Amino acid sequence: MNKRNQFTIGIVVIVVAVIVLAIQGMQEDETMSYSKTVSEVRLLDDKARSVNLKVSGDLKKGSIIRNNMDLDFVITEGGEELEIHYIGKDPIPDTFNNEMDAEVVVSGRLQADGVFNAERIQAKCASKYEADYSSMKTD
Amino acid sequence: MADLGNILLYFLFPISVFTTLTAIAAGISKRKGLYLAAQRGAYATMGVTTLSVITLIYLLVTSDFSIEYVASNTNQALPLFYKIVALWAGHNGSLLLWTWIITIFIAIVAFQNRHKNNDLMPYVLATIAGTITFFAVLNIFIANPFDTLYMDLGDKLQEYTVPDGRGLNPLLQHPAMIIHPPILFIGYVGSVVPFAFAIAALLTGKLGSGWIRSVRRWALTTWGFLSAGIILGGKWAYVELGWGGYWAWDPVENASLLPWLTATAYLHSVMIQERKGMLKVWNMTLVIATYLLSVFGTFLTRSGIVSSVHAFANSGLGPLFAIFLTSSAIFSLALLLYRKKDLKAEQEMQSLVSRESGFLFNNLLFLLATIAVLWGTLFPVISELVTGDQITVGPPWFNNIMIPIGLALLLLTGVGPLLAWRHTSLESMKKSFGIPILSSILFTVVLFALGVRDGWALGSFAISFFVLWTIVVEFVKGAQVRRKNSGENYLKALYMLSRKNTRRYGGYIIHIGMVVLFVGFTGNAFNSETRAEVDEGDVFSLGPYEFTVQEIRHEENDNYSAEALVLNMTKNGRLISTLEPEKRYYFASEQPSTEVDIHSTFREDVYVVLSGMSNDGERVIVQVYRNPFVKLVWIGAFVLVFGTLFAMVPNLRETKGGNR
Repeated sequence: MNKRNQFTIGIVVIVVAVIVLAIQGMQEDETMSYSKTVSEVRLLDDKARSVNLKVSGDLKKGSIIRNNMDLDFVITEGGEELEIHYIGKDPIPDTFNNEMDAEVVVSGRLQADGVFNAERIQAKCASKYEADYSSMKTD
Repeated sequence: MADLGNILLYFLFPISVFTTLTAIAAGISKRKGLYLAAQRGAYATMGVTTLSVITLIYLLVTSDFSIEYVASNTNQALPLFYKIVALWAGHNGSLLLWTWIITIFIAIVAFQNRHKNNDLMPYVLATIAGTITFFAVLNIFIANPFDTLYMDLGDKLQEYTVPDGRGLNPLLQHPAMIIHPPILFIGYVGSVVPFAFAIAALLTGKLGSGWIRSVRRWALTTWGFLSAGIILGGKWAYVELGWGGYWAWDPVENASLLPWLTATAYLHSVMIQERKGMLKVWNMTLVIATYLLSVFGTFLTRSGIVSSVHAFANSGLGPLFAIFLTSSAIFSLALLLYRKKDLKAEQEMQSLVSRESGFLFNNLLFLLATIAVLWGTLFPVISELVTGDQITVGPPWFNNIMIPIGLALLLLTGVGPLLAWRHTSLESMKKSFGIPILSSILFTVVLFALGVRDGWALGSFAISFFVLWTIVVEFVKGAQVRRKNSGENYLKALYMLSRKNTRRYGGYIIHIGMVVLFVGFTGNAFNSETRAEVDEGDVFSLGPYEFTVQEIRHEENDNYSAEALVLNMTKNGRLISTLEPEKRYYFASEQPSTEVDIHSTFREDVYVVLSGMSNDGERVIVQVYRNPFVKLVWIGAFVLVFGTLFAMVPNLRETKGGNR
């Protein structure tokens, strides 16, 4: 085997290995999640229960209920509401509480009863900084 | 004062345009006068930007709340130190910091090269000044930190001022966050200098080793800053965000990793070009890619095209950045294609088992890592274009692909330096690798016997052990040879050896830092955690530790109110540490903030978060993580930065003809 072929084979083996890893990673349900808004989730069919979803919406003020370690709340968007049950282990974000407007992204799965089991909560505080003043310009 | 700052900033635009144009004219006409004018223009960009930055700092310190930026990012009660660093706390100010750094760099480059590189320099200045022009436009017209607060009253705009500002985001009130942006920015912005030299070399056709020599220090310095900036970002996330980890493959984290990957590839492959005259096109490509990825990182952070916890809100810079990025990419690639025939390799690869080949595979792996991270980061955008669904790939996908690539690269760290140039014989392979391989196998068996069962972790520890062994042998062997020849004592021999080839031994030190980092990363395989809802007097445990809730108390001061938990951590009945995690509520910003407490040893971190109160407010929810080896990540970063500094020390020359 000449040198050029040796190199070509070595390179091809590595490239193929990495591509296989990439594709294999994408087959696993846990790693992929579809981004949807609350109103879009309402339109999904049953198949949507078998995939991970990342649902974004606004936290409904005062909807957070803590019961021992459980946490339930409601997010809204486009006139629709979605009930969330938090089953994750990580501490919930600072910007997530009953007093504040927060834009929330929950990751998890939709259950048969229509409740969303969230494993992760990301909350973005509603532009407390900077945008707050700039929005006054157009008012 | 604000007007002054604004006028100074406005001056930056004509000055940078002037510098770009005179520099190009100087390059074409070769007239000394034009070149000198461009040089002065370069200094002037730094002058006006520095004054503008000083003005902004003055406004921040004196709390001029008629300025939107000041009102949005500071308040009266904020300590002076944080008022100053609020310069880069918000979007517009941090963009000014970016612009400031690049103007400082153009001035340094102009000064360093005032008597040399006369062919390249006009185009180097033109490239950097052109980039400054772009950032000046952004800073002046779209993200101007000197904007005043005003209301639109229909027929006119009414300026107004507020009694107190919003305050600094509590998440940013942390030492690592204070130094993280400038350090990371220096790393990002620094990539413009090698890029400018590469473009100048392509334009002038002076493609020899001149430009490579001129950018060697710059490439290494900015790489060091980029590395430190990335790790500091991780440190900040670990301490401030309160989820127990330091890296989550978040788009903004990935954005900083991308130029680091290509810059690291370049630092390796450039050695082949210097030594063998090979991979010239490839090195150009890496320099260009590093610059483009740095700009892309800034774009990703500020455009809002991918959502991230770190990102600034959508700031309207997106389209301009996209245009700048695309045109820079097209321009440099066209130039590269135009000169392709002049960049032919002077030699061919000789053997699969050689130093050259080691570098080649190192670069291949770095390239694949870059593509993988880019693909994963942009997958939401790509999938939306193709299928209409926005699909995010999570950390497991990145780990699945990056752990094997990382370990393969780590392995090469041990193998590569021991391979001879051109060809390595089987005999010498046996000699160099026999003992290290056997001992690392033995080490792995011992670990297995001690109960380590995670396959990836075993692999990582085995490779780390092997690499460390080979590096130590390099130092020891070299020192022994020196001692024999010169009669110096062991330590002196070791010191002289390293000082005589700082680049090589600095490189080895960086490799040791990488090993330490990898051992730290591997600790993630053994993380454990627990969560409990507790009241005073309650006891819970994690692993060998017992935690007793001593006290739950409420505190208040001018800046914030806080719930604090006092937790005694014991092991076998012996008190190890008292941990006090807090949940704070900052008044000015109306923001809550979690203050974690960490008991950190070499073996592991015990990381405690007060994650919330129960509904009745009587009990608190506490979360405890055991994270082995996290400290090694920070230590590895120190070693890496030390190695980088060492590699930049000029080589010691001996008068009495030492051996090379």
